[in-house]
Amino acid sequence: MNENPHTRKVLPGFWKRILIFLTIFGPATITAMADNDAGGVATYSLAGAKLGYPILFPLVIITVLLGVTQEMGMRLTVITRKGLADLIREKFGVKAALFMFAALLIANIGTLITEIAAVKTTSAMLNIPPIPFVMAIVLVSFFFVTKGNYKLTQAIMLIASLFYIVYIISAVKAHPDWNLAVTNLFYPHGVDMSSAYLRDFLLIGMGVLGTTITPWGQFFISSFAFDKKIEKGKINYSQMETYWGAFLTDFFSFFMIVATAATLFIHSIPLVSGEQAALAIQPFAGKLAGTLFAIGILNAGFMGLVIVSLSTAYAFAEFFGLSGSLNDSYQKSKTFYILFVVQLIVATVVALFIPLSLFKVAVFTQTINAVALPPVFYYLIKLTNDRQLMGEFANNFFQKYFAIICTVVIIVASVFTVATAFFNF
Amino acid sequence: MAYLSEIVGRSVTDLDGVSVGKLKDVIVRPWAEFPHPLIEAVSVESKSGETSFMPFAAVAALLSPVIALKYCKADVPVFEQKEDDILLARDVLDKQIIDTDGARVVRVNDVELVRVNGTIYVSNVDVSWLGIIRRMGLVGLAHFLGGRIKQKGISWDDVELMHRDQSMQLRVPAERLHDLHPADLAEIVSDLNRLESGQLLGSSDVKHLADTLEEVEPEFQAELVEHMSDEKVADVLEEMEPDEAADLLGDLPKGRKEDLLALMEKEDADDVRKLLAYPEESAGGIMTTEFASIQPNLTAGEAIQVLRGMADEVETMFYVYVLDAEQHLVGAFSLNNLIFAPPGQLVSEFMTDRIITVNLTDDQETVAQTVAKYDLLAVPVVDDENRLHGIVTADDALDKIIPTAWKKRLPRFYR
Repeated sequence: MNENPHTRKVLPGFWKRILIFLTIFGPATITAMADNDAGGVATYSLAGAKLGYPILFPLVIITVLLGVTQEMGMRLTVITRKGLADLIREKFGVKAALFMFAALLIANIGTLITEIAAVKTTSAMLNIPPIPFVMAIVLVSFFFVTKGNYKLTQAIMLIASLFYIVYIISAVKAHPDWNLAVTNLFYPHGVDMSSAYLRDFLLIGMGVLGTTITPWGQFFISSFAFDKKIEKGKINYSQMETYWGAFLTDFFSFFMIVATAATLFIHSIPLVSGEQAALAIQPFAGKLAGTLFAIGILNAGFMGLVIVSLSTAYAFAEFFGLSGSLNDSYQKSKTFYILFVVQLIVATVVALFIPLSLFKVAVFTQTINAVALPPVFYYLIKLTNDRQLMGEFANNFFQKYFAIICTVVIIVASVFTVATAFFNF
Repeated sequence: MAYLSEIVGRSVTDLDGVSVGKLKDVIVRPWAEFPHPLIEAVSVESKSGETSFMPFAAVAALLSPVIALKYCKADVPVFEQKEDDILLARDVLDKQIIDTDGARVVRVNDVELVRVNGTIYVSNVDVSWLGIIRRMGLVGLAHFLGGRIKQKGISWDDVELMHRDQSMQLRVPAERLHDLHPADLAEIVSDLNRLESGQLLGSSDVKHLADTLEEVEPEFQAELVEHMSDEKVADVLEEMEPDEAADLLGDLPKGRKEDLLALMEKEDADDVRKLLAYPEESAGGIMTTEFASIQPNLTAGEAIQVLRGMADEVETMFYVYVLDAEQHLVGAFSLNNLIFAPPGQLVSEFMTDRIITVNLTDDQETVAQTVAKYDLLAVPVVDDENRLHGIVTADDALDKIIPTAWKKRLPRFYR
């Protein structure tokens, strides 16, 4: 292909760059924010309540890990204009595709169940009738996903992302020791580091990592960026967005932890589950903080429901070569939309009407995720290393080994979490 | 009938029954005369991992549980590969192909082979779930279900591969794609990856390319022409409706936009420049400058002659606009009016002089409402002195207010 003289880089001005950034803005931020789904919020609240400010320390590492892994998925898709699932099928065959899809489907339904359960508990706290409320959320999700298009979905998800601001307010209302909170980002201190504390720290820290970095997140960022049809020339901006998204997610996680650390940990109030945090912080931070906290969980649950079920539907379309785009009509992408809604219905029915131990569902989901993550990263790194596929955008030496190290850390964390859950600590 | 998935991986033995290795791939070569290619050769992977290519003539039985060769291991002839050979497992299996019959992009789960008089042809590609079940090794189940479920095989005749030659160029024979409606081709293009879509369009002729580009979203258009040569893009722009060309140019980097305009024929470039000067959301921004106009002092018979001469420049004539010497809009008539008029009658006598117009600076909402309210096929766009600058056709007017995704959902009739 002859080099076109017009593709030479003209350094755009600041505002021009901002404008270009806005045209690619969306996929990475939404994926990263959805990583703080209802399960994520519950885990962070629990972590803050049980361990206090020191558990803020892993956030920096998590941000780096999330940024690095998401960037690979984003780059892969923008450069090849194929989704991660597309490429797995083409390069690794039908068996790999089926295995990955099965793992993703099961784990995602598990995630959806925990999502719905969180929404149910929280709505009850806010005196909203839980069952009709959950059904309404599922219906609304279905309606706007099938009737809307990419742009509408992106807009609604970005608005939902804004709602995470409620955690900042909750945290402020909790009157935390900001100095202690911020310094704990750099080194954990300020508590009695007994061996029991350190054991919990390790366990919960791993759990926090596990809810943030998930197989569906890896597939989703790739599919969503594909659906957005980001141009190759804007790859720098998309990479920037993935880092920004990772930062933003953990920026809000910081406040979730601070809100419970400044109240429940200080007063040694034990939490049974993360959702209870909304009620439990009220005596210390006021009613407003508690209500906002609860609204935050509902919002996170809604976002998780849409994004997680979309990630399965996208992956299915890519693995098996069907049409799957939010911009396609219901007729053209029937399977895509049906899969989207069937998961939601299954998860709703299970969460609302079948008495299951939520803890067991969470452990089960985490287990499947732990099984699926190593191959996902294996494929992701292998594909982004492929010079034939990625050309000059293939991983360089540093990216390659850094990605491998990050992957090993993530895998160790998820295996560790699963193992401890099975042996009941 | 047999499937590629069934024979790949089977063990291959020589004349003496000594194992040679496992079947790795099947090589076919397209012919000009017949749509279904013939198996020319097989590739076999030995235990040590070496791949050797053997002509089909050296194989005694390909569709059998153990594939036997006609030669001793040492004497097997070597097959000379050619550039346009297709390796079914490497190039077709699990890959996306274009189904030209259904105008869609699908993923191949399996390839169907048929034996006729000792030769084996590729008959269909299997894109159904049965293919996946078979690939999982559940051949019996696939066979059982196959008897009950309607097969959705795509005849090889309707398959366009998207595999590449050495220079990574996509090899898609263009002729068959040209039979597709531009809207269908646009849909296929939007399903493909970047490299493939660019190359697919690169193989199209200028006219077809222009029609296809008009069907895809503007941001995507810009991406598609990114790697085409300026000369080709300029030709395509000349071929496109000026308003569509302006939309496309509006999305390109400034430097390239100017270069392309300079390469275009002056007349077309001037039309496009004029449109680029108006805000994107205004009547001026969405209008086209291709319209039929005529002087008032002609007779109906002369008018028909004049209009016939315009056939090359004006693609569709909904209305004919009557302009005075200074381009002022004085009247309009439809082709119906013209045909029903006696040949000797003057245009000024049968034209309507009460014309609904929109101003250059009106926003697109107003234009769409005007078109809808008066049931027009096109509305003329005039300046403050009532000089005609262009027209907005009904489909363009609606395009701008109905998001594409919704429009796709409307039945074709309303589009």
